[in-house]
Amino acid sequence: MSKIKVVHYINQFFAQIGGEEKADYPAEIRVGEVVGPGLALTQNFKDEAEIIATVICGDSYFNENLEKAKADILAMVKEQAPDVFIAGPAFNAGRYGVACGTIAAAVQEELGIPAVTGMYVENPGADMFKNDVYMISTKNSAAGMRDAVKKLAPLAVKLAKGEKIGSSAEEGYIPNGVRVNFFEKERGSKRAVKMLIKKLNDKPYVTEYPMPNFDRVEPNPAVKDLAHAKIALVTSGGIVPKGNPDHIESSSASHYGEYDITGVTDLTEETYETAHGGYDPVYANEDPDRVLPVDVLRDMEKEGVIGSLHHLFYTTVGNGTSVASAKAFAAEYSQKLKADGVDAVILTST
Amino acid sequence: MSKYMVITNNPLVRSRLDDTHEVIYLELSYEELLKVVRDRIYEGHRLLTHPLSGSVKPKETPYKSVLISERKEKVDGESVRLIENAILVCQKFQDKSKYYKEEVYKDFQLVDWTLLESGLASADVW
Amino acid sequence: MRLEMGNIYIKDIQFADTSKIEDGILYVDKGAVKAVALEDEHIKTVTFDIAKPGESVRITPVKDVIEPRVKVEGKGGVFPGIISKVDTVGSGKTYALKGMAVVTAGRIVGFQEGIIDMTGPGADYTPFSKTLNLVMVCEPVEGIKQHEYEKAVRFAGFRVAAYIGELARNLTPDETKVYETCGIKEGITQYPNLPRVAYVQMLQSQGLLHDTYVYGVDAKKTLPTILSPTEIMDGAIVSGNCVSACDKNPTYVHENNPVVHDLFEEHGKTLNFVCQIITNENVYLADKERSSDWTAKLCKMLDLDGVIVSQEGFGNPDTDLIMNCKKIEAEGIKTVIITDEYAGRDGKSQSLADADVAADAVVTGGNANEVVILPKLDKVIGTLDYVTKIAGASEDTLREDGSLEVELQVITGATNETGFNKLSAR
Repeated sequence: MSKIKVVHYINQFFAQIGGEEKADYPAEIRVGEVVGPGLALTQNFKDEAEIIATVICGDSYFNENLEKAKADILAMVKEQAPDVFIAGPAFNAGRYGVACGTIAAAVQEELGIPAVTGMYVENPGADMFKNDVYMISTKNSAAGMRDAVKKLAPLAVKLAKGEKIGSSAEEGYIPNGVRVNFFEKERGSKRAVKMLIKKLNDKPYVTEYPMPNFDRVEPNPAVKDLAHAKIALVTSGGIVPKGNPDHIESSSASHYGEYDITGVTDLTEETYETAHGGYDPVYANEDPDRVLPVDVLRDMEKEGVIGSLHHLFYTTVGNGTSVASAKAFAAEYSQKLKADGVDAVILTST
Repeated sequence: MSKYMVITNNPLVRSRLDDTHEVIYLELSYEELLKVVRDRIYEGHRLLTHPLSGSVKPKETPYKSVLISERKEKVDGESVRLIENAILVCQKFQDKSKYYKEEVYKDFQLVDWTLLESGLASADVW
Repeated sequence: MRLEMGNIYIKDIQFADTSKIEDGILYVDKGAVKAVALEDEHIKTVTFDIAKPGESVRITPVKDVIEPRVKVEGKGGVFPGIISKVDTVGSGKTYALKGMAVVTAGRIVGFQEGIIDMTGPGADYTPFSKTLNLVMVCEPVEGIKQHEYEKAVRFAGFRVAAYIGELARNLTPDETKVYETCGIKEGITQYPNLPRVAYVQMLQSQGLLHDTYVYGVDAKKTLPTILSPTEIMDGAIVSGNCVSACDKNPTYVHENNPVVHDLFEEHGKTLNFVCQIITNENVYLADKERSSDWTAKLCKMLDLDGVIVSQEGFGNPDTDLIMNCKKIEAEGIKTVIITDEYAGRDGKSQSLADADVAADAVVTGGNANEVVILPKLDKVIGTLDYVTKIAGASEDTLREDGSLEVELQVITGATNETGFNKLSAR
């Protein structure tokens, strides 16, 4: 039986081209070459698989030329027609992690070739892509290479063969929101007793079922003097000036927009629209006030119900945008709102 | 005067309680019935029994009976949480409620009734 | 309280002219056990069968599984309030017949579930594929009401188990284990540096086919209370629960409660196992509030440092589980909970119907929605008629080759929430 064909993706650093100063190294493919971590992977394939080509790309280049880099690399991979694609492992390198996640997800999604990557759980790329591709959980530095490839190589082989993938606990990937059954070595009660003893002794333990992520925010006390309050509008409903000048993505938004509505009393079909790709945009485009109620707030401003409407609004698309990104956006514009003396915010969603 | 009402799609519950209790009988699916309950909760009624009472899975049994308060008050957050979660739970089960023989429906009705009955016993203490 | 458990290992079960246990072989006089089962006028006929590990046998629909035991010394008798008088049990000496079980099967309601496969993939999931099973299928007299029938079969199982257990009274156990907890004061002096730990067991208590009995009392009419963990070993808690096969606790699980046994393993070493606290899972929300308040109160009054909480069943009890966990944690008592999951066939749905951040230490018995293919087996004890109608089974359950495509939820004990099995999920 012929060996499983693997294409391996790494950055400029692991290709020993250079560090940060070489991060703008454009994408290239070296057919027939096994580079850097590829050697360790090959050892762990146990003759079942071989790397037929290595794609190398600088981290800055990839992230700054996202669309082009992605398209170029997809074309390279497609030509090799591998059985499985491996990216990284990226450990704690943030931009490398995002690149690995992006390209692995794209190869899987667009070429239909199974892909796997690996990185440290706190790498920003982990949160962004762990539900899209299998992602081996690694240590936070390249010192964890040996352990990483030990899990990465067999998982890649399994994926290439189309075998059933076990649970995250068995295979070593970062939990991806899909619950998979497996048999533990000890019965549940024994595991519970052991977990309790650890918990009682303040030792670390791992819950077998992490509760859904709650980020409950206690509501602020009511605004006492609305008539003198400066109110701002913020939305995850994607309302943007017509033409979406800052190219906020229709899903998985990577940024937010800040727009001036000085003198604007009504959002119209001609002037505003939604960038959101997760709901039927017809009614929002017809009258964007339905999502971002500038019109009624202007009325209230006039009637003296509120003090004033802040002249800037903040907007992004909530559609599939990661919690981490959303938090980062809010942390940033909240500071701006505070600096501008805003007393209260109306946050609208869809 | 009763302080609660029964929302049910179970004809057995209707026939047992109609004369003595306030019963809202609706010919709806399990999930649709929960949605009616949800709407009532948003109007300010409180949930008195757990919407997922019973171990027979949603959509396996077509029947569901729920007790809610007769009085409307401020919307009860806990009731909202329970009913919304229950509706979500429904969605992960496959609908099998159409495939049984006649007598099996009778059994489902009986079990739903006894689950409700155990709730009524507690409700009537007040 | 101190209980000496004498274990007698059963290596085989055979039908014979006289009931007896000899050299680890249980001989059963069919006529005699039939007479015991038929003492109840509600039961018209009963058939007995034997299913052994590895045989191509499927038992369904299973109602209860019971381990025969006999009380040889000390107060009371097995299954207090049901078979024996209500004297408090849990001290003295008890013998158990290990490696075997009495299984009650047969249709009580049309949608009844519960599969035990003695071989094949299904056998990996049910703990009762590893026991020699004496299976009794009861048929009711005409015109009987479901609740009377349920009760009749429940009691018949206990009578037969007690009859079999009685055969061991004068034997010498193969192995003896001593289980002992101390009084409050004694525990504090004896183990001044060990954390005080209790087991909080939630009992299914929602209505017909969803009930549990403690010393014969319907658990839904009880307030949370304290047991010596040895009491369950004499059958203080029995099952009247026939729904949700995968995560209901058959009487066998109550008698052999794994949390009790595994806490005893650590008792005096890493922790002081103070007691067992039992609470219920009623459908009425105020009952839930009261019961969980009381559970937390008992934990506090006992000055506990840690508890393990186990659940029984699906949906409604998730709310009790979370209430218990939240309130006990709020008393500053470290809590571990045991549950199972309904994450959908694809494993992507939210696993529980309720959740809270306080539940940060969870042990899971696996996803009950996961699909498994059970091959056709040579012999069926009970009836397959209802398999296509049982929980988790879909309309195309019975496939062309006679195999069954089912969710784990139909397999007796598959995702048990007392941690009886090794199955888990991530």
